[in-house]
Amino acid sequence: MSPITSETRFTPSRRALLLGGAGFGALTLAGCGGFVNDDDGDPGEQSGSGDGGGTVTAYLSTEQNTGIEPLVEPFTADSGVELDITSVAVPDMNQQLAVQLSSGTAADIFRVSPGYSSNVAAGVLGSGGDLLDLSDAAWAANIDDGTRALSDVDGKTFAFPVARNSLVMAYNLAVFDELGLEPPTTWTELLDVSQALTDSGRTAISHGLSGGAIYLQFYVYILAGTLLYGPNPDLDAQMRAGETSFTDEPGWTEVFTKYLELRDRGYFTEGALGVSPDQAMQDLATGAAGMTVLTNSGLPALYEYSETGAEAFSILAMPAGDDADATLMPTAPDFLAVNAAATNPDGTRALLEFLAEPANVETYANTLAVLPGLDVGVQVDNPALEPVLPLVEAGRTVSYANYLWPNGDVQQTMLQSGQQLYADEITIADLLAQMDAEYAKGTP
Amino acid sequence: MTSAVTTATSPRTTGPTPSGRKGRLTPGGVPYALLLPAFVLYAMVVLYPTLSGAVYAFTDWTGRADGTNFIGWANFVEIFSDVAARSALRNSLIIAVSVTVVQTLVGLALALALHTSLVTRNVLRTLFFAPALLPPVIIAFLWTFILTPQGPLNRVLRGLGLDFLAQNWLGDSSLALWTVIGVVIWQSAGLTMVIYLAGLQGIPTELNESAALDGASWWQRTRLVTVPLLIPATTVAMSLTLISSLKLFDQVFAMTGGGPGYATETLSVIMYKEAFVSGRFGYSTAIALVLTMIVFAFTMVQLGALRRFDVDR
Repeated sequence: MSPITSETRFTPSRRALLLGGAGFGALTLAGCGGFVNDDDGDPGEQSGSGDGGGTVTAYLSTEQNTGIEPLVEPFTADSGVELDITSVAVPDMNQQLAVQLSSGTAADIFRVSPGYSSNVAAGVLGSGGDLLDLSDAAWAANIDDGTRALSDVDGKTFAFPVARNSLVMAYNLAVFDELGLEPPTTWTELLDVSQALTDSGRTAISHGLSGGAIYLQFYVYILAGTLLYGPNPDLDAQMRAGETSFTDEPGWTEVFTKYLELRDRGYFTEGALGVSPDQAMQDLATGAAGMTVLTNSGLPALYEYSETGAEAFSILAMPAGDDADATLMPTAPDFLAVNAAATNPDGTRALLEFLAEPANVETYANTLAVLPGLDVGVQVDNPALEPVLPLVEAGRTVSYANYLWPNGDVQQTMLQSGQQLYADEITIADLLAQMDAEYAKGTP
Repeated sequence: MTSAVTTATSPRTTGPTPSGRKGRLTPGGVPYALLLPAFVLYAMVVLYPTLSGAVYAFTDWTGRADGTNFIGWANFVEIFSDVAARSALRNSLIIAVSVTVVQTLVGLALALALHTSLVTRNVLRTLFFAPALLPPVIIAFLWTFILTPQGPLNRVLRGLGLDFLAQNWLGDSSLALWTVIGVVIWQSAGLTMVIYLAGLQGIPTELNESAALDGASWWQRTRLVTVPLLIPATTVAMSLTLISSLKLFDQVFAMTGGGPGYATETLSVIMYKEAFVSGRFGYSTAIALVLTMIVFAFTMVQLGALRRFDVDR
């Protein structure tokens, strides 16, 4: 056996060590330069699908996926383009899309929020160069003015309105029949109906605020729509110009005062801060509660909690004042937008042209019980929407209040500090001051 | 053979290269050269991502590649001036201290109780350890259902005539944080118990027997013999618990989302929200860096303190 000496073990040169050290130094420096953008390629060059074929990747909300499902096969048969769809809930999508765009892994087409309501809204991404300019599309001429304010940036159209959702109040028909109640059309009637429901031992309005207080905002937008934006359609412009603010505009205080009035009268679910939105919906379905507020695209989920499905419920436009004719119903476009770095921009444009055809607008709207996104003369044929269609036809709709707030943090603060308001830990003035502070930060 | 080894080791202490050729390592440098491949791998997998992240903490990075600017210490100043961030820091520290102390005591008590000749000890050990095997999110959703105002726990309490104990466990901001802490301890105490059981099985039985022969009571044997000899197990258990509770995210996010209001927000939760809800990745990275420093500091202090109590067997 040969003796083991230091010579026979391992004798690396100093050069190897120096190279190793230099390599580590380079790694460290590379780490320090990590946010340098070296992606200077032309997105269009990656396509390879200029002939209209290939595959379009889509990242949709679960509701959009349901609405588009009957149209997938006809689209592929019509265009030869395959659709590769991934669908997730909207909150998850809002949290993932920015990272996907940054890392270059975003789909060709995806859902974006309207206006500037989140960090992945049409206005934010459009002005940041992340979205394809769709102004030259034929369907762009069919976007109504209210929707255009939320899809356009500097006169360029960055989003396609696949549908419009509304904030409605759903009520349990069996409970209303049993108590002989009529759907309320004024604030006073709403209080009377709520009192009758409470007197019957039920929760008047099921309300779940745990896990982020998503449903708090619906009441704010409903009340603000009728009390603030109806009388003063220029409110957003005035707030952006600094002429007024959440604190200075008395209507905002009235909005939150009325919201808290429903709590103080005991009409909301007991312990709402610890109740999940799903539980609140189940309470309505089982008749433990009489009414609740939700988006009409959420109706199919509500129906699933009842044995009789859609027949168990009807909807109404929640009143905010005592003039029934002044009630406005908040509606919001549900947008799709095209990735500026789409691998198949032609196929994606073809998909939007297909979805914009009147027959397909109608199919999508009726599948989801939502309003058509484009103004193409489509008649809504869904019994679930009948009670609120007169308001839509009369133009008595209004945008969600937050869509033209300059950033998503105003809404986030309203939701989070709104829970403190609900728990009486802060005052309305405190909340409005916090929202003003976030508003003042402007658009990122 | 002996002379061969002697020959091999002697140059390492003397320094000069046997061959004297330029460019060769001295024998004293060999161990460092052997460490180099592992260090390069460590640098690529750990140091590079960490340094990258640290750099972002000094920027206003929004998650998009364009428009990132160095803003110095502004993110760190904001952490310590922002009410929500300070609240999250306070909550993280409350969680860390209370979970570490209570979980260690509960785990130790369970281990002492089940380190006996009890016939059902294995079944009981399995039952207490089982929650630790389940994903935290599953546990969180399960408890969220149990703890709703009209949920099973309050129904049982009301059924027993204990209405005054029925609470809005997750909806009351004065209770929510303690409720989450309770759920975390419920899930993880079994893991601490297992660590202590391993420690108990390493203690020679004759030590306790001789103490008993000297007239020591059960409490005296536990306090003066068993617990001191469990210091190594305590160090492991407390370190693991402290680190995991300082970073606590899953249970909080699934049970309360940080609410009601800001009552249960932790550094990990606001770190996530700032990045993925508000798109403030630079600020979020600064929070992550602060959290890392806190975890490091607490762990070092804890290890140092426990080392003072360590004993030789």
